[in-house]
Amino acid sequence: MNDGKLAAFGLDKRSAILVALLLAAILAIPLGVRSDFVFHIFITICLYGALSTAWNIVGGFAGQLSLGHAIFYGLGAYTAGLLVPYGISPWFGMFAGAALSAVVAVLISVPCFRLRGPFFALATIAFLEVVFQLALHFKGITGGAVGLMVPLQIGWEWMIFREREPSLLIAFGLLLLTLLVAGWIRHSRFGYYLIATREREPAAQAAGIDSLKVRLWAVAISAALTSMVGTFHGMYLTFIEPEAMFSLTLSIQIAMFALIGGIGTVLGPLLGTLLVVPLTELARGWLGASAIGLHGFIYGTVLVLIVLFMPDGLVGFFTRKTHPRPDEAAAQPGALQASAGALVHDPAEPVETRAIGEPILVAEKLNKAFGGLRVAQDLDLSVQQGEVLGIIGPNGAGKTTLFNMLSGFLPPDSGVVRVRDRSGQWVTPTSPHEYARIGVGRTFQIVQPFAAMTVLENIMVGAFHHHASRKEAREKALEVAERMGLWAQRDMEARNLTIGGQKRLEVARVMATEPRILLLDEVMAGLNQTDVRQAITLIEKIRDAGVTVIAIEHVMQAIMALSDRVVVLNSARLLANGKPEDVVRDPAVIEAYLGEEFVHAAA
Amino acid sequence: MTVFWQLVLNGLMLGGLFAIISVGLTLIFGIIRLVNFAHGELLMVGMYATFLLTTQLGVHPYALAPPVVLLLFVVGVLIQRFILQPLLEARDHHVQIFATVGLSTALINLALLLFGADIHSTPAYGARTSLTLGPFRILTGHVVMFVAGILVVAGLHVFLQRTYLGRAIRATAQHRHAAQLMGIDINRIYIITFGIGAACVGLAATLVAPMYPVSPTVGTYFVLTAFVVVVLGGMGSLHGAFIGALIIGLVDSLSGYYIAPDLKEVVIFAIFILILLVRPTGLFGLGRGSE
Repeated sequence: MNDGKLAAFGLDKRSAILVALLLAAILAIPLGVRSDFVFHIFITICLYGALSTAWNIVGGFAGQLSLGHAIFYGLGAYTAGLLVPYGISPWFGMFAGAALSAVVAVLISVPCFRLRGPFFALATIAFLEVVFQLALHFKGITGGAVGLMVPLQIGWEWMIFREREPSLLIAFGLLLLTLLVAGWIRHSRFGYYLIATREREPAAQAAGIDSLKVRLWAVAISAALTSMVGTFHGMYLTFIEPEAMFSLTLSIQIAMFALIGGIGTVLGPLLGTLLVVPLTELARGWLGASAIGLHGFIYGTVLVLIVLFMPDGLVGFFTRKTHPRPDEAAAQPGALQASAGALVHDPAEPVETRAIGEPILVAEKLNKAFGGLRVAQDLDLSVQQGEVLGIIGPNGAGKTTLFNMLSGFLPPDSGVVRVRDRSGQWVTPTSPHEYARIGVGRTFQIVQPFAAMTVLENIMVGAFHHHASRKEAREKALEVAERMGLWAQRDMEARNLTIGGQKRLEVARVMATEPRILLLDEVMAGLNQTDVRQAITLIEKIRDAGVTVIAIEHVMQAIMALSDRVVVLNSARLLANGKPEDVVRDPAVIEAYLGEEFVHAAA
Repeated sequence: MTVFWQLVLNGLMLGGLFAIISVGLTLIFGIIRLVNFAHGELLMVGMYATFLLTTQLGVHPYALAPPVVLLLFVVGVLIQRFILQPLLEARDHHVQIFATVGLSTALINLALLLFGADIHSTPAYGARTSLTLGPFRILTGHVVMFVAGILVVAGLHVFLQRTYLGRAIRATAQHRHAAQLMGIDINRIYIITFGIGAACVGLAATLVAPMYPVSPTVGTYFVLTAFVVVVLGGMGSLHGAFIGALIIGLVDSLSGYYIAPDLKEVVIFAIFILILLVRPTGLFGLGRGSE
């Protein structure tokens, strides 16, 4: 594998060699020792390592704690096992089971992904129980509580062997497959999208991510892999029963290994398995078969200890947060400067001829009420291409609600938002990521960084919108980081930025999606004078690059300096609309802000 | 028709059983906002304690309520203080979930190591005697559980509403940080709450033990139903749990007879999934079920 390919899995040469050695040892030790007991231990390690790695794609990367993954494991075993008597090889059954599991996983997950944390876990347990009880009930198919024997046909085509080596090879192959899939996902656009969605769903959607779709892909892949391992295990045991196949204990175990090793990391699940499985198997060997329950007791105790003392698992404990290394060419700012001339939004060459053009975003008669509280009443708004529109109004006037309706986060009760797309057609997107895709970008008043990612990775999530490859997205993100004054902090974790830095990161992430219309929600609130001046310059540059800007802001200095036009909202209604200097003299506006007596004072 | 009403009666009695098991779970969720996946194992611990004490000392299981309740209170206090409290400020849900899942796994298997996989029956001392009410029959033990369920829910309600400690507990549940600013030691509140929740399970254990045999996995059997009950009633709502328990008891009894005995759990879990998806706050929830 050359360096480029290694980088795609987030490995440098040294760690690649370590991983290769580790995997080689998993294969070489049992082949060298050749005792049944050692074969058994290593086949078990490969099996659980593969199951746990597959689980981690949805439980770790997507952050959805499934405790029902045995459903897919059992489906894999049963599908292949039931096809064998018809003369169909389990190698075919493996893929049939995987396809079935992927479909079932998607059907279960579409409704369940609305649930979070423990509630999602409970729902998956409930689904598992239903499947288990149904499997017990339909004895004709599953053999019920008695179970099914798989016909003993020996040979590679039936996946059943007299010796242990072939089974070890298959189990190892499955482990390798799941690791490759997990490694590829983690370091691809898809993986970034999953983690962004896990960390902050709204911000991920605003960056153009269809959060439901990426999660469903994750669960489908995870279920398919789990099912393939289930097929193999069914053949290895040559006996399939609902109790062992659709087992809550198994579901918990595979999640447990991932957590012990390091949830959300590529190698964590395997490391967790490597720690716990030999430990328990050896203990069982020493204490004999009388010690039933011992392995479970060790699992549970290790899990509690890990949660208490190394919440990031073994991987987190030994590596402390490792970040992807900067790519060679992009590592030096100098190299970046050299290519800067080719960039569209180069700050050095502002577009001088700025013309306010045709309408690009129109809202008509927007209404919205939360219970009895009306937060938008017949709001009409038309935004011209290239203009900077300031939105001001007292607290609670409905500014952020308006933004939420203009970016797809809140459907209006009535009324319509129309946006002109790149080809000039008027369209009405229906979800946040669709808004992002036609070029409406937004920031959040309460900053929403993807906390577990570095600053650069945060910006990359936006950059992936137009750049599918990690290398290109990275270059784009580096360019944006520099332009937004985040160069020095690019490898910091986003949660460690100052508030000013986090606000800049909000803008940087959305700028990386290259929006045509930018919605800024109080990006200057809480900033000091220097930062405010910087922010004003920044927005001027964005505007000069041809981006239409709509900004909610309380900092009047900024509104007056930047806006071509100002709209005033008060009590869910449009109060005024005009040039900034006219609007601030409007008696109605003064009254809304300061009260009636100040209107007379001003007059 | 007699069969139907007998089934309804059975369902209500079963509801009493579910209620007394679920009360502690919903209390802990409502106050600490923690889904305790080890709840069933607390019941298992209590049932083993009752079994051992009854057989060793030859005492009526009901008479063991004070020591077992105290034991479980202490167990709950220890769990909260040494396992859950350090995780209070953890960033992710998964940490708390796995702490209790790990605890549950460890306890089940510890019981397996100590007592083996066989079931053990606690002497019933008359709790399994049936009473005849006209054409209907019920077990005395079930009546006791039903009445105890009502008393526990009512007692906890009065405690939470009327006493200073109860008010402090509710304040902590409503806003942890605001409660701290008012001088409430929230760690202490959480420890006491978890202790009380566990103590409720202790009481349940002494009442359940004479009716059902104990085994290492007895907790899993009951706790899955308890989760259904608590989500149906609304996570955190005491009277919700009671009403949820009665509903699930009725569903269990009627679907076991009219559909198929081995499919009643399918019906119950189908209801559970439906509630989670359609109305995650349950019947009397705190409005944060999907959190």
